[in-house]
Amino acid sequence: MEWIALANPSRFLALAERLLPWLAAATALAFAAGLYAAFFVAPEDYQQGATVRIIFIHVPGAWLGMLGWAIMSVAALGTLVWRHPLADVALKTAAPIGAAFTFVCLVTGALWGRPMWGTYWVWDARLTSVLVLFLMYLGLIALWRAIEDPARAARAAAVLTLVGAVNLPIIKFSVDWWSTLHQPASVFRVGGSTIHPAILAPLLVMALAFTLLFATLYVSAMRNEILRRRVRTLRLLQVHAAQGA
Amino acid sequence: MTALAALLLRDMRLAVRVGGGALMGVLFFLLVVTMVPFGVGPDLKLLARIGPAILWIGALLATLLGLDRLLAADHDDGSLDLILMGHAPLELAVAAKALAHWLTTGLPLVIAAPLFGIFLNIDGSAIGIVALTLLVGTPALTFIGLIGAALAVALERGGLLLPVLVLPLTVPVLIFGIAAGDAAILNAAPFGAPFLILIALTLTSVVIGPVAAAAVLRHGLD
Amino acid sequence: MTRRQRRLFLIGTGVGVLAIAAALVLTALRDSIVFFNSPTDLVQKRVEPGTRIRLGGLVKTGSVIRGGNLGVRFAVTDGNKEIAVAYTGALPDLFREGQGVVAEGALDGAGLFRADTILAKHDENYMPKEVADALKRQGHWKDGYGAAAAGSAR
Repeated sequence: MEWIALANPSRFLALAERLLPWLAAATALAFAAGLYAAFFVAPEDYQQGATVRIIFIHVPGAWLGMLGWAIMSVAALGTLVWRHPLADVALKTAAPIGAAFTFVCLVTGALWGRPMWGTYWVWDARLTSVLVLFLMYLGLIALWRAIEDPARAARAAAVLTLVGAVNLPIIKFSVDWWSTLHQPASVFRVGGSTIHPAILAPLLVMALAFTLLFATLYVSAMRNEILRRRVRTLRLLQVHAAQGA
Repeated sequence: MTALAALLLRDMRLAVRVGGGALMGVLFFLLVVTMVPFGVGPDLKLLARIGPAILWIGALLATLLGLDRLLAADHDDGSLDLILMGHAPLELAVAAKALAHWLTTGLPLVIAAPLFGIFLNIDGSAIGIVALTLLVGTPALTFIGLIGAALAVALERGGLLLPVLVLPLTVPVLIFGIAAGDAAILNAAPFGAPFLILIALTLTSVVIGPVAAAAVLRHGLD
Repeated sequence: MTRRQRRLFLIGTGVGVLAIAAALVLTALRDSIVFFNSPTDLVQKRVEPGTRIRLGGLVKTGSVIRGGNLGVRFAVTDGNKEIAVAYTGALPDLFREGQGVVAEGALDGAGLFRADTILAKHDENYMPKEVADALKRQGHWKDGYGAAAAGSAR
C-alpha cells in the first residue's frame, strides 16, 4: 500500500483499527518498563536526590507538547495547500492532546521548582514561552469550538497554527539566548548529553512511552473525529431528505 | 497604489466621523489608567514603578478591543468582497486598513500617553521614553490583532474569542515594550537591547500580520 | 508592472523586512537580556539603593554564615566582583556553596544586598552521587559541575 493511500479516510480508519490494539499494548509495556526504571533502577542525583525522578515525566511532557504543535503545523500546510479533509482531522485532534502534555510539563515543572529553585513559578523566558504555547493551544481549541462548519474552522485554525509555530524555536532556544533560571538543554545539545547514562536511559524509555501514548491517543482521536464527521454528514442528509419529502 | 490610498483615507474618515471608534480607544485607555490606582491603592512610588506596565496594558486592551469590527464591518456591508476582487493585492489592502486603524487608534494612544503618565506619577524624561516605546510597539499590536480581525470575519461573531486568540501572540511585544519602558524608571535595566527587539517585533508583525490575515480571508470566506 | 513582477516585489519586500528584523534581534542579543544581573553589572551600573533587582551568581565558598531565626548571610560572586547578601527565610534544597543562585531584593545604603527571595539555579548536569564522588576522587571533576550558571552569570 502506498503512503498516499492513507490519505483516504476509509483506508485510515481500517489501518487505525488494526494498529490501535498494538499501539496500546506497546504503550502499556513501555510505561511498565519506564516507570519501573524511573522509580527503582535510576539512581538519585548527586544534588537533587530523589526529586530528579520528576524529569522522567517533565521532559517527555515538554517534548510531546512541542511535538503536538509541530505535527499541527504540518497538518496546517496540508489543510491550506491541499485542502485535504484528513489534514483537517489531524489538525483538530492534535490540539487537546498537545495541550494536555504541555499541561503535564507545566505542573511537574512547578512541583520540581518548589523544592529545587525555591519557587513554583518564575517569569523567565523558558517558562513564559511554554505557558504561551499552552495558552495558544487553548485559544486554538476555542476557535475550533466557535466555527460550526468544520472545513472553514480548519482553514482559520491552520493559519493561526502556522503563526504560532514561531513559538517553537523560541521555546527550544530560550535557555541559550537568555540567561534563564531554567537549566540549559541537557539531552539534545552540541557535545552530547550532560545527563549520566544511568539517568538518561530511563528518561529515554519514558520518552518512548510518552510518544507511544501520544500516538495511541492521537490515532484514536483521529478515528473518533472521522466517525463524528460521518455521523454529522449522515444527520444532515437525513434532515435534507426529510425536508424534501 | 491609488486604490490603497483611497482605502486608507476611507477608513480614517469612517473612524473619525460619527459612529467611528477613533476616540473611543483613547477614552478606554484613560479609564484603564484611572481604574488601576484604585486597585493598587494610594502608593505613588508603586504607581511610578508599575506605570509603564499600566500604560502598556491599557494600550494593548484599547488596541485589541476595537479590532473585531475592522474587517467584520466591511464583510457585513459587502465592501470586503470588493476589496477581495480588486486589483490591489489583498495583503496590501488589509495592511492599509490596519495602518488606518493604527493612525486613528494607536497613534492617539501614543500622543495621550505622556498626559496619562502624569496620573501615574511617571516623571518627565521617563514619560518620553515610555511614549517612544509605545510609538514603536503599538503598530505590532495592531498588525498582530489584524490576524484576529480576519478570524472574526470567519467566526461571524467576535466577542471574547478574539482577545483569547490574539493576546498570547502579543506577549513578546508586551515583555520587550515594558522592559524598554522600565529602563526609563530603573537605571539598572538596559534600554538598547529590548528596544531593538521591539522594533524587530514590529517589523516582523507588519509582514506576517497582513499575510496571515489575507490567508484567513481567502480561505475562510468561500 | 505585471502581476507576476508585483508579486515578486511584494515577496522580496516582505523577506527584506524580516531580514532586517532578524539582524536587529541578533544585534540585541549581543547585549544580552538577562533574568538577573551579575555582581559586576551591579557595581558597573551603580544601582541606587532601594531599586528592586535580581542578583545572580555563585555562592562564594566559605561565605555562608547562618544566624538565628533562619537568618543567613553569604556572598554572591561572579569570579570578578562579589556582593554580600542578607536573607531571612527557608532556603531551597539546591542552595549550597559554589552553586548558582538568584537573589531578589535591593541594596541598602551600606552596600548590603537585602534579599526577600532566594532562587537556586540548577545546571544541566545530572549524575548519580557515586559517579560524582568517583569523579572527585579521580580528579576528573570539572569546574563546570555543580557551579551552575558559571557561564551564564558572566
